Amino acid sequence: MRLRTFNYFFKEAFISLIRNRWMSLASIGAVASALIILGSFLLISVNFDHILKDVESQVEITAYLEDTVDSIGITRLNSQISSISGVKEVKFISKEAALEEFKQQVGKDLLEGIDNPLPNSFRIKVDNPQNVASVAGEIQNLKGVEEVKYGKGVVEKLFNIIYWIRLLGLVIMVVFAAVSIFIISNTIRLTVFARRREINIMKYIGATDWFVRWPFLIEGMVLGFIGSAIAIGILAGGYVYLYNIVKLNIPMISLIPMEEFYNYALGFLAIGMFIGAFGSSFSIRRFLHV
Amino acid sequence: MIEMFGVSKVYPGGLDALKDINLKISRGEFVFIVGPSGAGKSTFIKLLFREELPTRGQIFFNGKNITRMRNRDIPFLRRRIGIVFQDFRLLPEKTAYENVAFAMEVVEASSREIRRKVPQVLERVGLSHKADAKPSELSGGEQQRVALARALVNEPDVLVADEPTGNLDPDTSWEIMKLLSDINKRGTTVVVATHARELVNAMRKRVLQLDKGRLVRDEERGVYSNEA
Ligand SMILES: Nc1ncnc2c1ncn2[C@@H]1O[C@H](COP(=O)(O)OP(=O)(O)OP(=O)(O)O)[C@@H](O)[C@H]1O
Ligand SMILES: [Mg+2]
Repeated sequence: MRLRTFNYFFKEAFISLIRNRWMSLASIGAVASALIILGSFLLISVNFDHILKDVESQVEITAYLEDTVDSIGITRLNSQISSISGVKEVKFISKEAALEEFKQQVGKDLLEGIDNPLPNSFRIKVDNPQNVASVAGEIQNLKGVEEVKYGKGVVEKLFNIIYWIRLLGLVIMVVFAAVSIFIISNTIRLTVFARRREINIMKYIGATDWFVRWPFLIEGMVLGFIGSAIAIGILAGGYVYLYNIVKLNIPMISLIPMEEFYNYALGFLAIGMFIGAFGSSFSIRRFLHV
Repeated sequence: MIEMFGVSKVYPGGLDALKDINLKISRGEFVFIVGPSGAGKSTFIKLLFREELPTRGQIFFNGKNITRMRNRDIPFLRRRIGIVFQDFRLLPEKTAYENVAFAMEVVEASSREIRRKVPQVLERVGLSHKADAKPSELSGGEQQRVALARALVNEPDVLVADEPTGNLDPDTSWEIMKLLSDINKRGTTVVVATHARELVNAMRKRVLQLDKGRLVRDEERGVYSNEA
């Protein structure tokens, strides 16, 4: 394609953008809204994921031992548990130590005068949160282990929440994208009607179908591009603002810094342009007859 | 250059616009298509540049069967045919120069070629001095000259015109016809559908007369009508 042809396509596309400025604005707004929603859900879920990984890594397995296990058994179990793959740290808590801890937590000696009812136990940390369930299962099978407990369910539930956040974001995004495509295709339809005389003449002169189509496709893609650029700007501004608030006020939550999201920006521009091209191809097919 | 074999055209739900047309137009000819309103003149023209497909029959252009042509080859057929209409069909927001240049932009000519050829062809139709005027600032005859320049600028093999003088007064019509004749003398085949009886009679070119879709007369150096 010649450079002048390319220039011609862009010039025509921009003339139309300005001629249909209200529809153009509506199209841009629709694309921006769709991508802001997609982006918000994305930022929330990625951060949620990140925070969850933190929480998960703190999940411990507690293995309570049968009272019959003697000190030799305890040593044996300790080495057995340590040799399970994925186990990072094993700590023995004697029933006395457990009682001390309990007293401290409750604040006073509720159990005074009674025999210490708490069992000996191991506290185990794993290297990868995803291994918690399988490691717990293996420990459960060891002889002398009475019961194994860990934050069972909690982790799965949190993962579930992320899943639903993503799904919801995706569904809303799809709806908004459909609305964007609809609005853009209407904008392009206006352009097709405004230029039908010119299109007619072009066809008599011997313009190829693609020569006729390109300005409309470009118009749609420019609408999508501007819309997504606006979305990126708003998302980035909003995120930095929130990031600083959270950092100041809730220091224990660590959000992902903005820089990590730069890659997504390109993806967003691509999605925006795709929506634009898709919307305009609707009108090209229905109204251009080339 | 143009050959028709048993060409008929029936519009959906309509009468036969053309019936069993057989003819040959050779390179360099000047041909008038005449006949009363509704005779099928415009349909004939439209078949030539594949605006319409014949219902039956075959049409050859430069030895190629254009009735069998794929849609995506149509633009390249049209680049070989310059087309002029009664209503000029210029772009109102472009100047005379730009309207002509547009025809070259559409076929992706280089800027250099455009700058060289547009003034040339405007000169040829006698409009160099109005190159920067918009259609609204031009008379009907001048607008038709721009349209002619646009049709010629890509050096077509044939120029087809559907009532090119239909909107013009007699004097201006004469000038346009003389221009068409000049264009023909320089080698371009010209096919003109027209109602302009005096012009046809004066010019003495080949006349194809249509009546209710039939080719009823094909005469070298003919006149508009043999009756009356
Ligand atoms: N698109 C169409 N659909 C249906 N019928 C049509 C169509 N175009 C033309 N016709 C019919 O075909 C016949 C021939 O029309 P055509 O336009 O070729 O005539 P013409 O000789 O150019 O007439 P005029 O001198 O008035 O321009 C007419 O009866 C017309 O009504
Ligand atoms: Mg006609």
